[in-house]
Amino acid sequence: MSFLRKLGKDPFGIFIFIALFLFIIGPMISVILWAFSVQWRYPSLLPTQWGLKFWSQTFKRADILQALPLSLFLSLIVTLISAVICLPAAYAFARLKFRGSQFFLLSFLATNAFPRFGLYITIAVIFLKLNLVSTVLGVVLIQLVNTLLFMIWIPTAAFKGVDKSLEEAALDVGASRFRVFWQITLPQVIPAISAALMLTFVGTFYETQGAILIGLPGVRTMPVLMLSLINNQLVVQYGAILSLTLWIPSLLMLFFARRALSGKSLAAGFGV
Amino acid sequence: MSTSTLTKKEQSRTKSNWIAYLLISAPFFLMVLLIVYPASLSIIRTLRPEVNGTRRFGLENYLAFFSDHTSVTNLVFTLWSTGAIIALLFIICLPIALYLRFTESRIAHFVQGLALFPLFVPGIILAYALIRFIGPNGLLETFIEVTTGWQGYHTPYLKPSGSIIGLVWEGIPITVLVLTAGLAQVPDNLIEAARDVGAGRLQIFFQIILPLIGRSMLIAFALNFLGVIGAFTLPYLLGPAAPQMMGPFMQRTFYNVLNPDAAETQAVITFLLSSFVGFLYVRSAVRQQKEEA
Amino acid sequence: MIRICLSLVVVFIVSTTFSQETIDLYNGSDTNISDWYSNSIIPMFQAAVPECKVNQVITGGGAGGNDPIVDRAYAAFKTGDDPKADYFEQFDPFRPVGAMDEGFWVEFSTDNVPNYASIVDAAKETPFNLPYRGSQVLIAYDKTKVNEAEVPHTWDDLVTWIKANPGEFIYGRPDRGGSGRNFVVRAVHEANGRDPSLFTVDNFDTALAAERFAGAWKILNDLAPYLYDNASYPAGNTPTLQLLAQGAVSMIPAWSDQAIQAISLGVLPESTGLVQLEDLPLVGGYATSTIPTNAANLDCSLKLANFVLSPEVQASVVEEIGGFPAINWDLLPAELQERFADVITNQVPDFPGGDWNSAMNDSWYENVAPNVNRNE
Repeated sequence: MSFLRKLGKDPFGIFIFIALFLFIIGPMISVILWAFSVQWRYPSLLPTQWGLKFWSQTFKRADILQALPLSLFLSLIVTLISAVICLPAAYAFARLKFRGSQFFLLSFLATNAFPRFGLYITIAVIFLKLNLVSTVLGVVLIQLVNTLLFMIWIPTAAFKGVDKSLEEAALDVGASRFRVFWQITLPQVIPAISAALMLTFVGTFYETQGAILIGLPGVRTMPVLMLSLINNQLVVQYGAILSLTLWIPSLLMLFFARRALSGKSLAAGFGV
Repeated sequence: MSTSTLTKKEQSRTKSNWIAYLLISAPFFLMVLLIVYPASLSIIRTLRPEVNGTRRFGLENYLAFFSDHTSVTNLVFTLWSTGAIIALLFIICLPIALYLRFTESRIAHFVQGLALFPLFVPGIILAYALIRFIGPNGLLETFIEVTTGWQGYHTPYLKPSGSIIGLVWEGIPITVLVLTAGLAQVPDNLIEAARDVGAGRLQIFFQIILPLIGRSMLIAFALNFLGVIGAFTLPYLLGPAAPQMMGPFMQRTFYNVLNPDAAETQAVITFLLSSFVGFLYVRSAVRQQKEEA
Repeated sequence: MIRICLSLVVVFIVSTTFSQETIDLYNGSDTNISDWYSNSIIPMFQAAVPECKVNQVITGGGAGGNDPIVDRAYAAFKTGDDPKADYFEQFDPFRPVGAMDEGFWVEFSTDNVPNYASIVDAAKETPFNLPYRGSQVLIAYDKTKVNEAEVPHTWDDLVTWIKANPGEFIYGRPDRGGSGRNFVVRAVHEANGRDPSLFTVDNFDTALAAERFAGAWKILNDLAPYLYDNASYPAGNTPTLQLLAQGAVSMIPAWSDQAIQAISLGVLPESTGLVQLEDLPLVGGYATSTIPTNAANLDCSLKLANFVLSPEVQASVVEEIGGFPAINWDLLPAELQERFADVITNQVPDFPGGDWNSAMNDSWYENVAPNVNRNE
């Protein structure tokens, strides 16, 4: 009751919630309904025949069972490497003074400015020369470049926001540099870094262009398979079932990451 | 401050110099190899058109683009769509961000969760879902017909509004995040003071809040612009056959018109537009740095 | 003892891996074709030619199907690297620009593919591709909405029906799938005395094209106001078919094989009718495979090319995917010839790929897609 009363006090919030719910979740509802339908013909509002017939058919496909673990593995590796090369860079941008630091920091905007399509052939040639086509390493590299912007900018802002007086106080009482970093600096930047990690993971998991160009034929990721199951497929249900399955991990992540994402640190990464 | 600490700081500055370059070298090198180098080759190629069988420097590719009716129409259409998308994003996301900033209600958690949800839905699934939802005889149309009996629904599928709806949907999370962060920097006491002297809500918004979040609005604008202008999947699957946005237009020119030079020129023109907006962003960032310093 | 056993196992593994070549086959067609490969063609081929294995990579549905991979292979051709691609189930060898002249595509002949001799002449367009399955575009319609008496049998019937039932017909963008493309081609033929022989691979000329297309664009622009949702052209075969499945339109052009599969899967209702125009059939065409000359496993690729032209596979084309064989009907099993006596034809009307095709698509985007009529 008390919760309902509280809701009543916030009509604007309820309005925003309902409007946003219709806009964001509306399209997703049709996906969910399709996933559990065997037949759905206009003008019926709901599926004309419910059932799980297509679920077993979808998961019987050997390529899906191979692609899912591969995609998870790739996204993890890319996120990890991205963190290993970008976080030190972010620390440098935030804490060390060097000539051209601003130029270098802003230059990472270039990773998002040129239409990737225009770079295809040249990138393919580079990877062919390096013998990286159709290898996991090749896909990792091409996906890594997409992650640089967020993985550098967001943590840079977070490191800049760290309260230096605390660090200095700790150094004054004789704590080692490593200990100061570990116990004082790191906890302050963890929310922003975990947000950046999550954005990187999700973005990498759903990346297709690079995975197609460099991965095929040896490395076939989940979204590349989904493309063929969604666009040229007569049976609408396959795509619906796959989408639904992939949302389960996503929603779990959203649940855990909401706090990190809401932090000021994330948005500060964009220079706000 | 004593002189000894000064010299110590200066020492650490020169020492940190090469370490800093070392630390940023890996991501920077990766970007140069996979983005800057191919992009430069691409730009140079468009500036060396083939005339009478030989390649030489010239602006023919660009002249051809701007004298071709379809290309110009598509470029204008892309800019128009991008503008509409960003305007809609502000109209939708500003109230949400304001609400999240100033409320203490529990509903805020749910609103925020919803606003972030699109991060987890890739374009291909969104297109797929929207076709079934707003498409002809889709869920929305049947729902309206069943509940209200109204038959006048016109689907936005395969119309400019189709791709606009899709791209707005995708742009909500980042816009809400950036605007919320901007609003977080508006001090409470400033608003309370304004309220004390009897300012209305609209007055507070336009005269106090809006000027203070100008920079975050510019950032939201720039990030969305970069994301939308070269978009492929959603305009291709949800938008009209003509006019086309630059993303699908480039691919069609390359694969179906079999004109790689023209396709590359289109890519470079898209890049130049992105760079212009990127420049606005960078200029604002530099100014901010100067203010801080 | 154990050591001997182990070394035997190792020798066995090594010898089997070395004696087998695996070819990377890229399939960018609709799923009925890639499923047919996984379930029939590839097992049959591997049984017949044990030294070759096939790895099918499905690229259909992406931004460009096989296009990015062909680009990559062509780049590898220029730099002398391994293209990681041996066989393209369907590709137009006129792409990428210049590739054919530079020797990127294998030139087929009876020397490298003995069965090449059995291909019907109508299917041969250029020696750089291998026609191996024919299909035709039909008109698919919803019997519950289209009266038996109104079912179109000529182009004029069709136009009359479309105009009498505004909003109930649509075709897809010509560059995004054969059903839309071949409807556009049929309009081009209609405007040019219904004579497909006017268009050949070698007779393309820009001025000639402009002249011949003008009439077709007049026909299509005249139809545009009566098409689905003020002429909203969907992006592909499947999206077009799904508009029919959703009941948003009552008539579309569709690939015969895809429509039949859709009916059997229940995606289209049982009440879907299929009809071919009688004055001049809607154009069909042969799917043509290509092999890059730099393929690492060229031998096996050529063996596969030869295999798909065998009477065995060609019979499967007829029986399993409802297509036309690319070889003479006389070469197929007698039983099959009898069963399909009514539909036997060595002549699926076609429209050339390459210049004619790309000029037609581009010109359609400039003259028909913008719907200029609508604003008049």
